[in-house]
Amino acid sequence: MRDFQSKWLMTLYFLLIFIGIGGVSASAAVDQRVYDNANLLSDSEIAELEAVAAEHSGRHGTDFLFLTSEDPEAFDVVDYMGDFFDAWAAENGQENAVLLTMNIATRDVYLAGFGTAETTLDNQRVNLVLDRILPEMQRGDYAGAFRETVTTASRYMEFRPGVNPESIFFKNWFQLAVALLLGGGIVGFMVYNSGGRVTTTASTYFDGDNSRVTGKLDQFRNKTISRRKVPKKSGGGGGFGGGSTGGGRSFSGGGRKF
Amino acid sequence: MVIQYKCPNCGSDMAFDSESGHLSCPSCGRQDDIETFPETNILRKFDPEEAKEYHCENCGAVILTEAETTATHCSFCGAPVLLADRLTGDLAPAKVIPFTISKDEAVAAFRKWTKNGRLTPPGFASGDRIKKMTGMYVPFWLYDIDGKADVAALATRVRNYTRGDTIYTETDFYDVRREMDLSYLKVPADASEKMDDELMDKLEPYDYGELKDFRMPYLAGYLAEKYDYDDEALFSRVESKIIPYIDSYISSTIAGYSTVSYTNKQIQAHKKNVYYTLFPVWMVYYDFENKEHTFAMNGQTGKVVGKPPISAFKVAAWFTGIAASAFAVLKVISFAVGGVLW
Repeated sequence: MRDFQSKWLMTLYFLLIFIGIGGVSASAAVDQRVYDNANLLSDSEIAELEAVAAEHSGRHGTDFLFLTSEDPEAFDVVDYMGDFFDAWAAENGQENAVLLTMNIATRDVYLAGFGTAETTLDNQRVNLVLDRILPEMQRGDYAGAFRETVTTASRYMEFRPGVNPESIFFKNWFQLAVALLLGGGIVGFMVYNSGGRVTTTASTYFDGDNSRVTGKLDQFRNKTISRRKVPKKSGGGGGFGGGSTGGGRSFSGGGRKF
Repeated sequence: MVIQYKCPNCGSDMAFDSESGHLSCPSCGRQDDIETFPETNILRKFDPEEAKEYHCENCGAVILTEAETTATHCSFCGAPVLLADRLTGDLAPAKVIPFTISKDEAVAAFRKWTKNGRLTPPGFASGDRIKKMTGMYVPFWLYDIDGKADVAALATRVRNYTRGDTIYTETDFYDVRREMDLSYLKVPADASEKMDDELMDKLEPYDYGELKDFRMPYLAGYLAEKYDYDDEALFSRVESKIIPYIDSYISSTIAGYSTVSYTNKQIQAHKKNVYYTLFPVWMVYYDFENKEHTFAMNGQTGKVVGKPPISAFKVAAWFTGIAASAFAVLKVISFAVGGVLW
């Protein structure tokens, strides 16, 4: 029993170390992150969102920004976003940001990652975030969608760049299920074999000198061919990918209609 | 008829010694080769009312046996005796594998085995509650089997390739036919009713290099039984034992296909030779928590089989330990890959 205890202690010890590493923080001194030009949010919603954004911005050293507009003439939400960020970055001296831009008139939403967020929130992750917030956007729950953007993007940014944060491999229930199945399987095997195993095989009593194939036929009969299209690489549907702003800042990103 | 082997030196009752493979005298230590043991020292006594009652030639006590017993000890003076009329004629074994593991070695091997039991209760592992160890020759039939198989199958070869933006799946169908001669040598089946078939199957394999022509002195000092089932009665059991072997041989002859589905499979097997053979088995009777557990040990290789008691606590401990370690390992891997624990 002693080695089980020591195994547990080791595990706990490792967990603590890793949690400790995850807690590195940097702060960004920005006072406004929500630019609700379209007046979609109430004052209390803005205050709450500012608080959530500030908390997560501090954690990643990346500001979570929200920009809404109501401009039926806007030709391209990405250009609008680029211009806004060029101005914002120059004013605040901060290049690392996650920016959610929406135009309520054209029903466009675009999520972009600037600076370090361009790698920590790459196109794939942007699309995953958009997948999650789109139902709320469509319902008109913009405050909820924005809060979800912060928490989800913040969570994704904790993952090493390049890996899919929604991979089943990272799910607790999956890891637990694998561990339980493995434990059950191995112990079941041990119980089953506790009374001794059959160790004879097909070759134990086989007489190779007098066993042989005496007749052999491999006759081609017919052939079928089926065709199908190479499946398109999934892009989440309707994302325009990243790009760079008029001011030369490159970003990762993706947008949808809602 | 009762047979005893008298020592040419001192007249004591000799027994088979598994270490030297000779008849050995417990009093003076004399060893005699089984092939050349002097005929005059073999004491044979025909009983007037034979087949019912046997008398020990040493002390005159009645030897009580079960109807299947062919070798035993006199329960009064302990002399090894063979019941020869149960070992002659139709009942004469053709072959025997002599014991190579002595009683002391068997005890040691059994203790070692109990220590390796990862799921057995702590008290069990001490191995010190052996109530009785009995060296027993168990009757087996060994079958040399000749067979023919004729199989027909529909097999496919599947190929995938991409041209432009189209994936082509090309499936070639083949008619496959195989005819083959099959031969299996000395497939054993336990012929004793008392012995659990599953237990005896697990004791295999025996090393046939030490298969000897049967001679009675091998049995002196051990228990032995005669068969309960004849070779005809057991053939179906042997057949069911080799069918999976034949199936795997057949599939090994049809290689290089993606799928094989059999449309016709005809297997005929018949016995070519049958040998009535005695295999050495140590029966271990072990007391644990007021219950007797029976184990069998291959008297030639030392392999132990039988259901040991299982400790629920140890099962739970192993399960928890393995599951927790696996979970921790997965967490460490997911941290290494993804940089995140939860």
